[in-house]
Amino acid sequence: MGLLDALQRVSQSPTNPHAPAAPRTFDVADLYRGPLAAPAEGGAAAGPPLDEKLRQAYFWIVNTAIISPHYDVELNDGPPQSFTLGDSKSRLTLPSAQSYSSFVLLPLLTFATRRKCLFVGGPGRGKTASALLMGVLAGYPVREVRRAMQHGHPQMTVADLLGNPLPADLVAAQSIEDIRIAWRNWLGMRVKIIDEYNRIPTRTQSALLTVMGDNYAEILNHVYECPEAAWYLTANDETGGGTYPVIEALRDRIDVIVQALSFNPRFLADLLARIEANLRPEEVVPRQIIFTEAEVDRVQEEIRAVPIPGDVGRRLEFFASQFEFCEVAAEQWEYKTKDTARLSGVEWNTVTALETGRDRLKDLGCQSRNGLSVRVLMTLLIYAKALAYFRGNRVVELEDVRQVLPFVLHDKLLPDLDAPFFAAPGNAMFRTDRVGWLRRVFDLSCADYERLNLDREDPVAQLTAEFRRGLGGVTEAQTRARLVAVERLVTEWSKGRKLYGHLYDDLLVLKYLHQRYTNYLRWLKTQ
Amino acid sequence: MTAALAPAFAGFLRNARDELNARFAEARRLRPDLDADAFAAFLRDTVDPLVRAVDAAAPAYSVDVARAGYELGLELVGQGLCGPGGREPLIEQGWREVAPPAAVLVAAAPERILGAISNALHQLAATPGARPAEWIAAMRTLAPRCADPDTFLTLGQVAAWRAGMAHFRAGALAAADRLPQDLALAAVRAAGNDWPETRRRLAADPWFDPSTPERAGGRRVAARAGAFRGFGGLFVEPPVAVAAGEHFLVHSGEECWLLTADAFGATFHRATAEERADPRPSSVPPGVTAKGTTLMVDGARMELPELGEIGGVAANGTTLALTSPFTHAVVLVALG
Repeated sequence: MGLLDALQRVSQSPTNPHAPAAPRTFDVADLYRGPLAAPAEGGAAAGPPLDEKLRQAYFWIVNTAIISPHYDVELNDGPPQSFTLGDSKSRLTLPSAQSYSSFVLLPLLTFATRRKCLFVGGPGRGKTASALLMGVLAGYPVREVRRAMQHGHPQMTVADLLGNPLPADLVAAQSIEDIRIAWRNWLGMRVKIIDEYNRIPTRTQSALLTVMGDNYAEILNHVYECPEAAWYLTANDETGGGTYPVIEALRDRIDVIVQALSFNPRFLADLLARIEANLRPEEVVPRQIIFTEAEVDRVQEEIRAVPIPGDVGRRLEFFASQFEFCEVAAEQWEYKTKDTARLSGVEWNTVTALETGRDRLKDLGCQSRNGLSVRVLMTLLIYAKALAYFRGNRVVELEDVRQVLPFVLHDKLLPDLDAPFFAAPGNAMFRTDRVGWLRRVFDLSCADYERLNLDREDPVAQLTAEFRRGLGGVTEAQTRARLVAVERLVTEWSKGRKLYGHLYDDLLVLKYLHQRYTNYLRWLKTQ
Repeated sequence: MTAALAPAFAGFLRNARDELNARFAEARRLRPDLDADAFAAFLRDTVDPLVRAVDAAAPAYSVDVARAGYELGLELVGQGLCGPGGREPLIEQGWREVAPPAAVLVAAAPERILGAISNALHQLAATPGARPAEWIAAMRTLAPRCADPDTFLTLGQVAAWRAGMAHFRAGALAAADRLPQDLALAAVRAAGNDWPETRRRLAADPWFDPSTPERAGGRRVAARAGAFRGFGGLFVEPPVAVAAGEHFLVHSGEECWLLTADAFGATFHRATAEERADPRPSSVPPGVTAKGTTLMVDGARMELPELGEIGGVAANGTTLALTSPFTHAVVLVALG
């Protein structure tokens, strides 16, 4: 049995209680619920639901393991109390619902979804300690997690990272297949920690990229297949200020970035007590919150099963549509993207100088230098589901998307700091506050969505829904009618409307529909 | 003069001294009120006899039990529940009276069994109307007949029902089915030796008492539940009852309680907001009337002088709940 003291106390009451759906029932098993935590039983059915276990882990970490008074993931179930302070009219909000510390929440969601999380922040702020805790949550002994942690340094070689061919085999082998490889143990772990990854030399970063991206390691034609794992990387400066610049593909593999916020000296007494007691939280993790491999598998399945309602999905589509469009980047419609401009190598300022006609302050697309990749959108969907699951909700709410979005897009959506938005009164701080900026952009996008009344008046959605019902049995006359509907809509939109990102994407969809119906019509004529 | 500790326990404390001292120090850091003397008394008076019993029955496991006792003790004494002056002396009584007869089971799963005894007694003590002493007596007697920890825990659930936890009735009946029949019969203190028949009657009639199966059913005052708060009860005002499914909602002043009752006891649970808000009218079966202290049921007369005057009648399928402006008790009449 683990240390049975308050340090190991895990919330016994529901950590995020919801109104009971069923009439009162009495469970005879409650007889054995009381002041002593029940020891973990072998069967999965013996413990609490896994979302509850995840919350128990969260609350144990924030209340006991790390001294973290920050609640920056603010959630409300009613109007929050809000106060304005200071010369710059800074707003302090006291949330009305259970809110969370991103520094713990996002790593935990990463653990549950087996994705990749980067901790950034100055030295000594608990980045490595938090990553260690995640390893312990996966059931590994602290010593094993520590030994498996890869510490980036300027001399780190591929062999340091992945393993070595056995020297005896190198001498005796007649073919490359005969050379056995001593793979590093960390490759087989389900929680992988890379400390100070921006100190790893570029060549070794490429080897790391293969492991991170494709989940295997290769030396001398020998391949080691790694298990699916949660990754934690740390960096003192995520913007490339380490010993070596981080290769872009590696940065792109990171799913979320969380910042280790500063220590509040008001909690110095807690720190002192911990020093005096020689306490290391990672060594006293209660076993009730340790997840087996099968449990994490099940959590992943349960997270994937959390549905995203159509209205939430549509708002996310609308938001994602804002950024890729760049009207002046190309002549052909499909290439009017920021990616085209980037690939051309033309200076960004030169491209934006060509922009005319649109309200660059109002157009959200003008705030970024790039668009969103498919990988980013998939990550966003997964983390939104994970947050909903963590909160005990059956479906994803818009707030789930809103809260995870800044951490997913942190270095994926690059702000154009020369955009008029950042020069507008009150927006200057968004030049340095990436999380705040991303949340604001999402809010503005949702407001725009509401203003356009797209929940009710979305002709593209109607045409798409009609197409998705299938072409089986659709007659030639019906097909022609649908083609006319598409053309009529494009005609209507072409009458003097300014082009914005969401319209651009909608017009691409209309072109797609038009092409599918055209092809279908051609096929019908051959029958 | 203090008696010497059991050699096995003394050896454990000596061998793991540094580790145990560190654990105590850490526990006290988190619970500054953890009293070293109280903890020492708990180890001496409660853990030591248990380790002694385990050492006699399964000596290979005495260290495991000692360690579990030490760690659980830190929690219980740290919470102020155990040790001299502890708020819940019944827990220590359970450790001293229930655990030693079940020494083999404790040896097999020390944290599980000791934790279950502690939590069960905490529940029993906290439930108005339950009889923890009766649970301790039953478990002390029947624990040696349990083959494994699971059977012990199941027995505890049935015994808790028998000791007054009427709200566990359905679950405990199902649990009893998992026990050997002789143990199930003993747990409900059945006079007969036919568990299927006993179970059938228990399920059919909440007022059936298997210890007196020959006693005729029929209409009778089966129980009195509740009392004035000044006398240790729950009610500040004479209560009024309404039916709530198979239970009753009992209103007293601003408060509202859910009353569950059967032949083994009656327990009150604070009503939820939803239960309070449910304005279900109390429907009294046809043929039931009350006047003064007289209750008429299907023409049969029952005199209830202790009520002074019957103020309210609520009914479910098996029971009438009678209240009066002159008493803080709810009188439960079995309809038979």
